[in-house]
Amino acid sequence: MFRNYLKIALRNLLRNKLNTGINIISLAIGLSASFVIGLMVYYDLTFDTYHPDSGRVYRVTSRFTSPQDEFVNPGVPIPLPQAAREEMTGLEIVAGFNTVDLHKAGNPESGLDFKDPGPQVFADAAYFKLFKYDWLAGTPEGLGEPYRVVLTRERAARYFPELNPAQTLGKTLVYNDSIPATVAGIVAAPQGRTDLVFEEFLSSGTFQKTDRGHYAIAADWGSTNSSDQLFVRLSPGTDPTAVQKQLDRIAKAQESDYDRQYNHHRTFELQPFSDLHFNSELQTFDNGRQPATSRPVLTGLGCIALFLLLLGCINFINLSTAQADQRAREIGIRKTLGSSKKQLLLQFLGETFLLTLLAALLSIVLSYFLLDTFAEFLPEGLHFGNFRETPVMLFAGALLTGVALLAGFYPALVLTRFQPVRVLKNQVVNTPGKPTLRRILTVFQFAIAQIFIIATLLVGKQIRYMQNKDHGFRTDAIAYLHAPWHLTSLDKNERLAREIAKIPQVRAVALGGNPPASNSSSTSTAVFFRDSTEIQSPLQMLAGSREYYDLYNFEFLAGRKPLNDTILEYVINEAYLHIIGFENPEDALNQNIRMNDENRPIVGVVRDFNPRTAAAKIGPIAIMPDWDRSREYSRFNFIHLDLKNPGDGSLSPTISAIEERYKEVYPDADFELNFMDETIAGFYQDERSLAKLLGWAMGLSVLISCLGLLGLVIYTTNRRTKEIGIRKVLGASLAQLGLLLSRDFLVLVGIAFLIAAPLAGWGLYSWLQDYAYRTELSWWVFILSGVGMIALALLIMGLRTLAVARKNPVESLRTE
Amino acid sequence: MLLELNNIFKWVTQGGNRVFLLKHLDLAVEQGDFLSVMGPSGSGKSTLLHVLGMLDDFNEGEYYFQGEPVHGFRDKQRARFQKEHIGFVFQAYHLIDELTVYENIETPLLYQKVSSSERKALVADMLDRFGIVGKKDLFPAQLSGGQQQLVGVARALIGKPRLLLADEPTGNLNSRQSREIMELFQELNAEGTTIIQATHSETNAAYGSRTLHLLDGSWTSTPEP
Ligand SMILES: Nc1ncnc2c1ncn2[C@@H]1O[C@H](COP(=O)(O)OP(=O)(O)O)[C@@H](O)[C@H]1O
Ligand SMILES: [Mg+2]
Repeated sequence: MFRNYLKIALRNLLRNKLNTGINIISLAIGLSASFVIGLMVYYDLTFDTYHPDSGRVYRVTSRFTSPQDEFVNPGVPIPLPQAAREEMTGLEIVAGFNTVDLHKAGNPESGLDFKDPGPQVFADAAYFKLFKYDWLAGTPEGLGEPYRVVLTRERAARYFPELNPAQTLGKTLVYNDSIPATVAGIVAAPQGRTDLVFEEFLSSGTFQKTDRGHYAIAADWGSTNSSDQLFVRLSPGTDPTAVQKQLDRIAKAQESDYDRQYNHHRTFELQPFSDLHFNSELQTFDNGRQPATSRPVLTGLGCIALFLLLLGCINFINLSTAQADQRAREIGIRKTLGSSKKQLLLQFLGETFLLTLLAALLSIVLSYFLLDTFAEFLPEGLHFGNFRETPVMLFAGALLTGVALLAGFYPALVLTRFQPVRVLKNQVVNTPGKPTLRRILTVFQFAIAQIFIIATLLVGKQIRYMQNKDHGFRTDAIAYLHAPWHLTSLDKNERLAREIAKIPQVRAVALGGNPPASNSSSTSTAVFFRDSTEIQSPLQMLAGSREYYDLYNFEFLAGRKPLNDTILEYVINEAYLHIIGFENPEDALNQNIRMNDENRPIVGVVRDFNPRTAAAKIGPIAIMPDWDRSREYSRFNFIHLDLKNPGDGSLSPTISAIEERYKEVYPDADFELNFMDETIAGFYQDERSLAKLLGWAMGLSVLISCLGLLGLVIYTTNRRTKEIGIRKVLGASLAQLGLLLSRDFLVLVGIAFLIAAPLAGWGLYSWLQDYAYRTELSWWVFILSGVGMIALALLIMGLRTLAVARKNPVESLRTE
Repeated sequence: MLLELNNIFKWVTQGGNRVFLLKHLDLAVEQGDFLSVMGPSGSGKSTLLHVLGMLDDFNEGEYYFQGEPVHGFRDKQRARFQKEHIGFVFQAYHLIDELTVYENIETPLLYQKVSSSERKALVADMLDRFGIVGKKDLFPAQLSGGQQQLVGVARALIGKPRLLLADEPTGNLNSRQSREIMELFQELNAEGTTIIQATHSETNAAYGSRTLHLLDGSWTSTPEP
């Protein structure tokens, strides 16, 4: 029976090569997208799932709110873990630990030193109760005293290459040349994906002996460092809100007078352990790690995969039901030969499954290329080999079955509904399946494709808008380089600037701090007194020499540049001007800003410029000369360059000339020249990734929909060959025939547009709300996408209908 | 008695009027009968065979098959009876184009839970008997009409039905091929298979043991028991 079905299935697939091809390609596209996205979801969701009762594990984090702003810190004040142990109930395990990057580990016996070995942590036995590690030697209790360390097997093998775990116990390491630590245990590397990247666990008691040790001793509630971590496991049945209430109480009790006076609040929050991997704001312990794909992005990707799958299934449903009459005879005969409806149903579902299986094979190949194309979206640990993991295989199997059912069930029902007598009497039903259903599905397909087209066009438009938007300062032919952080000295920088200025291709040079737009910023709190009211606000500070203003071509609305590079005078932007309550820039001149208890005058106001992406509103900014120079510290660690545009387009001679000068001054440092326009383009990385993703989703959904359309058009024209022949004999023109055959489909594509346009418009409108500066939701985006889709549909239908309409009518009539 | 029809009516409603396809129809068929049903085109022969073959419903009357009331059967029971006891031969052969001769003949057995080795033996017998062993791997499109109909008959017989229904089995065949099929029917009948055939041709009807004439869904002469 099975062999018989298989044979007939294969023969059917081979006989309708075009349909089979269309179905396999459409399904394979949806499947490969689902495989890749499923893999991503699986990968990101399987972090730290192997710890016991990890559902009850939370990290305690800090949130600070003030009238001006709000921010979070993944750490807690050092005394909180102690307070939690003593004052709180409902906690099964309280594990406070402190992360650290000790810059050197030494093995005194072998005399070997290891530079920057990687993140360590000061922890105690509670850490190992909370997180699962396999102990190869020693016990967690070994961390009970100061100057003890537990290593992973890998780390131990690096420090003590000759010794096995048991032999390593009792050996000594010296950190930072000053902190000795005896090895108290060896653990195996974690058994699953984890964000706990630590490989060396020093006993908590050792923490007081380090650089930050005085913090541990002072146990100050007033300072919070992200390296001071607190994890807890709630007792079974404990309501997290009850724990939260206790945390709120502690936070309240520790509020300072200053906090109360300025309405600053600190709260401690419970972050579920499962959120750790996804929360880009609170971060994990691996600073170099790309942030995990966020949950909304995963959801978005999931939707795209789902849509592509649906589109593929729709093609299958449409083509199989449209051509059902071709199989009606077989079904009628089988029924008279004694087949039950159930057997027929199974036969057709089996065929669909076979087709899906073939599509799956193709999709594995496609997945490989997709993984490659989207490498930038994917975490480093994710690769093609993950497909071999059992849960992934199970998911793939379930997906295939699901898709086969989704695609095959309705056509199978339609097919098996045929009554044998009607078939045998040659009254074969001319409209098998409901054409209305087919129409609805086609509309759905094209609406999805249309939405993707509109979204792609508009996201592209927004990116172009942001990149080309006037940033409020000069961005073309501007480059900057920074002096090495630790070796920086004003003398050297000034010398370097002078030397670089001598290069003929360099038009101008300016010393300063960060460029006007960059990823790093420093913000202080400024106070402004106006009519005896105090206006407190954050103020982003930029350091710039007098040349800095000219080079970046800031537009002064009032006032002037500071008189020299050390005088403490503010040049503010319009945003700050408005915060301190002025309309007219002239009025702000010579008013004082108080910062760090020093009053300094405003001497200039510049037009607003964008310090980062156009997504964010421009905040208050002040530019100052080198304001810390009196404290033997210079803010001028960047050299900004105005480069001549070389006639032949090649900058590399200029760059090497600059590098040469740089190496003379800083021989050991790495040279890196950044171009302003590239820096700005870099701000829009997320948007460009989104655009790329949408572009692909668009391309694939259009491809699937058009394939489906092609299949349907071929089917209809084949069925109407005779009618076309007769009409031609009666004198219909090619254009009339073309219109006749395409009209129905054009109407469908049109309806799809009418559905898609408002949906896309609404979605994109809300997307744009996230941007402070946004492009218009122009009507032409919609028209262009609608016209494009219709043109494409016309092209497909036109090619096919013309081919049929051009046939000699006598031929087609004779074949009937 | 193999089957019995009592006062069968079948109609369709067209434009509010009943159009009778079968009207006041009685019939009794004994085990071993070879009945020919004659009548002009449109007289209801096919409709009658479909009703007898349990492929089609009727609106009134009683149908007993081996004493069992078919008119009271549920769909499942009817389907089971049909597949166990009845074989069909069609004017248009109705072979499955995607299956070979061998597979076409084998198909009814697949729906009757016959073991694979038994199936092999039965199909081989059948191929042998009909002299089409050499054609077993060909597809229907590669055979002549007469050969296709042979396969059709072989397929109808493979399940050892008590009743063979043949709807103008030679309608598409030339006279030599017709004669071969009719002789085959005679042989089968002699071996005990009950046959009811619909035909236009007096010559073919003469192969049967008795002939009934149908006109506008009724017998033109009262059937003899
Ligand atoms: N489902 C139906 N609806 C309407 N008329 C039908 C239907 N089935 C058969 N008929 C009509 O019933 C009559 C008998 O048909 P049929 O049994 O095929 O006759 P025969 O096989 O003797 O040529 C014909 O006139 C045919 O058109
Ligand atoms: Mg007929």
